[in-house]
Amino acid sequence: MKLPRASGAALGFGLIWAFLILFVLFPLTRIFYDAVTNEAGAFTLGNFQDFFTDSFYLRSFWRSMVLGAAAVMTTSAIGIAVAFLIVRYDFPYRKTFSYLTMLPMILPPLVGVLGFVFILGRAGTVNVVLMDWFGLTEPVNFMYGMHGVLLVETVHLFPLMTLSILDALAKVDPSLEEAAQSVGASGWRRFRDVTLPLTTPGYVSGALLVFIWTFADFITPLVVGVQDLLAPQAYLNIMQFVDRRLFRMGIVISALLVLLAVVFVIAAREYVAIKDYSSLAYSRVERRRLGPVQRWLAVCLLTVLMAVCVIPQVGVVLAAVGRGWALTPLPVEYTLEFFRTVSIDTPKFIVNSFLYAGLALLLCLAIGVPMAWIMARTNAPGRGTMDALTTLILAIPGTAIGIAYIRAFNVPLPFIGIPLTGMWVILPLVLAVRRLPYTVRGSYSSLLLVHPSMEEAAANVGATRLRTFRDITVPLVWKGILVGALFSFIMSIQEASATIFLTLGGWEMIPFGIFTFYIAGSQSQAAALGVILIAVCALCLFVVNRVAGTRVGGLFG
Amino acid sequence: MARRLKTLALAFTSLSLAAGFALAQPVEEELVLITPVAKTLTDPTLADFAKYAKEKWNVTVKTSALAAGTPVSYGRIVEWKGRPEVDIFWGGESALFDKLSEQKLLSKLDLPQATVDAIPATIGKPRPIYLKDPKGFWIGTVLEPYGLVYQPKVLARLGVPVPKDWDDLLHPKLKGHVAQCAPTRSSSSHATYEVILQREGDDKGWAWLKRLGANTGIFTARSRDVPSVVARGEFAAGFAVPSYMAFEDRLAGFDIKFVAPKTAWITPEPIAVLAGAKHPKAARAFIEYMLSERGQRVAMERGVFPITPKFRVQGAPGSRAEMAVEFTGGVRSYFDIDVTNIYDDAKAQARYQPVNEQFRKEIESAWETLKR
Repeated sequence: MKLPRASGAALGFGLIWAFLILFVLFPLTRIFYDAVTNEAGAFTLGNFQDFFTDSFYLRSFWRSMVLGAAAVMTTSAIGIAVAFLIVRYDFPYRKTFSYLTMLPMILPPLVGVLGFVFILGRAGTVNVVLMDWFGLTEPVNFMYGMHGVLLVETVHLFPLMTLSILDALAKVDPSLEEAAQSVGASGWRRFRDVTLPLTTPGYVSGALLVFIWTFADFITPLVVGVQDLLAPQAYLNIMQFVDRRLFRMGIVISALLVLLAVVFVIAAREYVAIKDYSSLAYSRVERRRLGPVQRWLAVCLLTVLMAVCVIPQVGVVLAAVGRGWALTPLPVEYTLEFFRTVSIDTPKFIVNSFLYAGLALLLCLAIGVPMAWIMARTNAPGRGTMDALTTLILAIPGTAIGIAYIRAFNVPLPFIGIPLTGMWVILPLVLAVRRLPYTVRGSYSSLLLVHPSMEEAAANVGATRLRTFRDITVPLVWKGILVGALFSFIMSIQEASATIFLTLGGWEMIPFGIFTFYIAGSQSQAAALGVILIAVCALCLFVVNRVAGTRVGGLFG
Repeated sequence: MARRLKTLALAFTSLSLAAGFALAQPVEEELVLITPVAKTLTDPTLADFAKYAKEKWNVTVKTSALAAGTPVSYGRIVEWKGRPEVDIFWGGESALFDKLSEQKLLSKLDLPQATVDAIPATIGKPRPIYLKDPKGFWIGTVLEPYGLVYQPKVLARLGVPVPKDWDDLLHPKLKGHVAQCAPTRSSSSHATYEVILQREGDDKGWAWLKRLGANTGIFTARSRDVPSVVARGEFAAGFAVPSYMAFEDRLAGFDIKFVAPKTAWITPEPIAVLAGAKHPKAARAFIEYMLSERGQRVAMERGVFPITPKFRVQGAPGSRAEMAVEFTGGVRSYFDIDVTNIYDDAKAQARYQPVNEQFRKEIESAWETLKR
């Protein structure tokens, strides 16, 4: 029997919701359940009371907020400047810079901060040179403390801001600015009254992500010895299991992180109100040519910025090829043995990474593209919720998802008798869930660009639905889907914060390998894996850049 | 038709043969550990064990180790509730193993009597360190002190003399240059905090630990990070470091030195098979291997000491074993020397949480004030 079309669609719709409920909502509610119960399972708010009466946790809370806000400010300053330069002005190597400024984003967790420490640490290249050549007795503290965390987060996250602004700027209809100009508003006034409000939605979503990302990162602070922040406290308390009270506090903090993410997402949506997609089409921008001095300044500014941004990469590459590198500006002994041990001797890291991230990519496509279609083309009930959920997933800290999965899925499944946490599929699953929003956003925005009238026109001249889809829709939207999917892949293969809690022996992906090597004290092996991962991601990003230019900012909205 | 039947019969016989073989197999084809012992010690022993199994039974054993700190390992084993994902728990404090066996999460070892008897019941005075479980659920594998480490070049630049005992870490010029891991995160750190507390009483002990906090430049996330940051010269000295972890950095080409103060706690790195393990025979075989001369020799090249007086760390001049002897201050076996131990593990485990609480309150939360 053939299902009528309507019920087939309903089935797909139902399946997507089932997936979202089972793998997003259910585990998150489990964390909240844990947070408001005690060891005996009775309801209590005591855990939160403990948190809010503990001066150390309160300080961590406050400092996390300050750090997040500071990161928003630094990334805004850099991100906005770079975005304006790239969209509005013409200068030599503009295209190259537009690719290069995206690169810091693909710094895998842990690798960035390690690279910085190799160059700017107390025994890093810079301090060694200062001490050995200029007679400094005490090293300059560039890294250890909040300022070090801020430095790493700024370099890592300003591209998010740049991309969000770029996307918004590229969509600003030039006629609006021309209109402002014609009534006499020029320069700063025009920027403040016309351009800025039009780019606000893009800016807010970028800022939100930077804030939450910073606030949820536990690895960077730990490497530079900062523990009084929320995310490191959640991680440290959960990773020790013996002290049950501390363990529960870790879960409480995770629940708090999720709660805050939800609050921020709602606040941001309220602020931006209804996102205006009417000017979604990218308009052609007339680029202003810069004068010779300004041109030179622009290139200089971007070059200096890039020089700071490649510090971690340089540090990691040096550490990956240097043996016993300590207290000399550059390694003394060079070797490729670390690359051999992490790739040929133990290929599992690379193999698992491609397998799981690849499967996650397929899952993202299978779920994300239909979701985008439902949101763009139908008026099915719950569309708004679906959209909100997508943003929420983007905002929820990985640690919280990892912990949520451990708590929610460690019960043996019926028939098999093994819990989901005991099967490797949980890794591609959690990756797909976490990185789904990129595929959804990418597909969604490109579907919006295709006006339904084109599809209708095709239908009018007799094309079947399938043929319309194949000949009209797909050629018009494949770029958006590809870019979104590739982003899902890049972000999956770099993911560590959720998988770190779920990985069992034999399932290790590259980021987990980096983490275990680092923990085992083999920083060179960690660095070698980091270099491999950066290379893979840079290649993917290059493809994205070729396909879509810098118009991928909408992915993060 | 007849031919077909014959093939079928052949297939059937070989199948049942294979099944029979599997039943008679001396070890399973897989072995998984959960262990706080670093890769640098687990990898070579597991690799050599796989070789040994191949030679002895012609079985290829796929080995792997799930790296996790002692508290995490313990926690996961408890969470698994008797349906463990791994076969063996290796390393950490023996009191935790006792706790696990009380919860019936370990299975009895049943090792050959001679192997068990080769290991003395205890070592150290005035307090004994237990090297094996009288009830037979766990057994020590190697001996290893938790000492201190330093980077000679950094110390020289600071003008600080080479440390010999815990107290030398309180040198005023070391302010901001000491690395340690919080006792709430690391069992080796926790044990060494207890050594300090039990050395001269709680009041004096906490005062001492606060002074160490004042000199501390970083609380690392994990105990293994302590020798790492010292080896690279990021920090001058490190507190509570297992000897072999520091030795690995030495082997990796770093100039790092290790000292085991007289009162340093020595751990027997206990090992046990988990109740409900999927590969019990391979697990038992691995433990027997670890206690054999071959297993002990592999471990000895990594900066740990034999668990029985039968062997001593010894090798050709320039060998790893000799490097290890030099690195750990000339000791070849802890059974050759008088071991001083003041650490009472039972007492430490009984007040585990209160000590952590006090650390959080008086050192971790007050760190900024202490540093002034």
